Amino acid sequence: MLMCSLVGVGGLCRDIGYPPGAAVLSTLMIWAAPAQMVLFGSIAAGVALPAIAAAVSLSSIRFVPMCMSILPLVRRPGTPTWLLLLIAHFVAVTAWVEGMRRLPDMPQHARIPYYLGFANTVMLAAAFATGAGYFLIAELPPPLAAGLLFTSPVFFTLSLMAGARRALDWLAIGLGFAAAPLAARLVPAGLDLLVGGLGAGTLAYLAHRLRARGGGRPA
Amino acid sequence: MSLIQSLEHATGGLWPYLVVILFGFLPSEVWRWLAVFLVRGLDEEAEILVWVRAVATALLAAVVAKLLLNPNGALAVIPALWRWGALAAGIAGYALFRRSVLAGVLTGEAALVAAGFLAPG
Repeated sequence: MLMCSLVGVGGLCRDIGYPPGAAVLSTLMIWAAPAQMVLFGSIAAGVALPAIAAAVSLSSIRFVPMCMSILPLVRRPGTPTWLLLLIAHFVAVTAWVEGMRRLPDMPQHARIPYYLGFANTVMLAAAFATGAGYFLIAELPPPLAAGLLFTSPVFFTLSLMAGARRALDWLAIGLGFAAAPLAARLVPAGLDLLVGGLGAGTLAYLAHRLRARGGGRPA
Repeated sequence: MSLIQSLEHATGGLWPYLVVILFGFLPSEVWRWLAVFLVRGLDEEAEILVWVRAVATALLAAVVAKLLLNPNGALAVIPALWRWGALAAGIAGYALFRRSVLAGVLTGEAALVAAGFLAPG
């Protein structure tokens, strides 16, 4: 699903005259479509490389909460650090939503093989899509190109809904949606998603705590 | 800057790959590494992870909203009302077809591509 946004990354990479291998390498190594778009888009705009690195880094801070919430589900006592780093490398939206949705119902010993198998498949397909995009994006009729870009938002929304287990999850989804336009107005671009997500998530968590205490229900 | 320029000169055809690694991979990957070290010793049931998960969920929802509010490229051609309508169609498809994510995505996509052909400009 996310391959579709990486088709666009392939196109961007071609626009700046980089070889197709660089586009594919960016998918395998960066593994974050927004960061890749920032990288190639800013190079196209002539931004200085150190400033680009800062912007890329900023767009990837979201991996901290994502990795932190999925790693405890996957690891077992004694999982070596290199394996944890490898698992963390595969964390991006697709692997995260799928993992959060499916892993809790799986036996502990099956989680790492499932996760790595799934994430590797997605990454391979995504690398292929990036390469295909490099050569194809300019040829598509506009409505189909729009459809490709629309895949991520609709897939992410539905995966979040499918993975929601508690009222807290639904609250976080709703507040997150509402926070985006608000933060876009109040916070400098580049930081808006981070501030919005942090604010909305914290608000959802506090509401969840208050409710748990008020109703005497276990959290 | 001159250091970067001389590096670019010295590496020649390999430069784009080096850019991807130095200015793309490294600044992005450090956060994943940081997370690995932050969760050390934390239990799967730890309370702080409930909060961290809520933040990650809200963050992703905000990403979706931003993608639909300020779309780039070809998606910007589709009027805002249609973009949100197509998302609603996707959610309806998901709900109707026994909570199937795939069915929902396909329904939403069909609605959006149809909108692209029917509502030009």
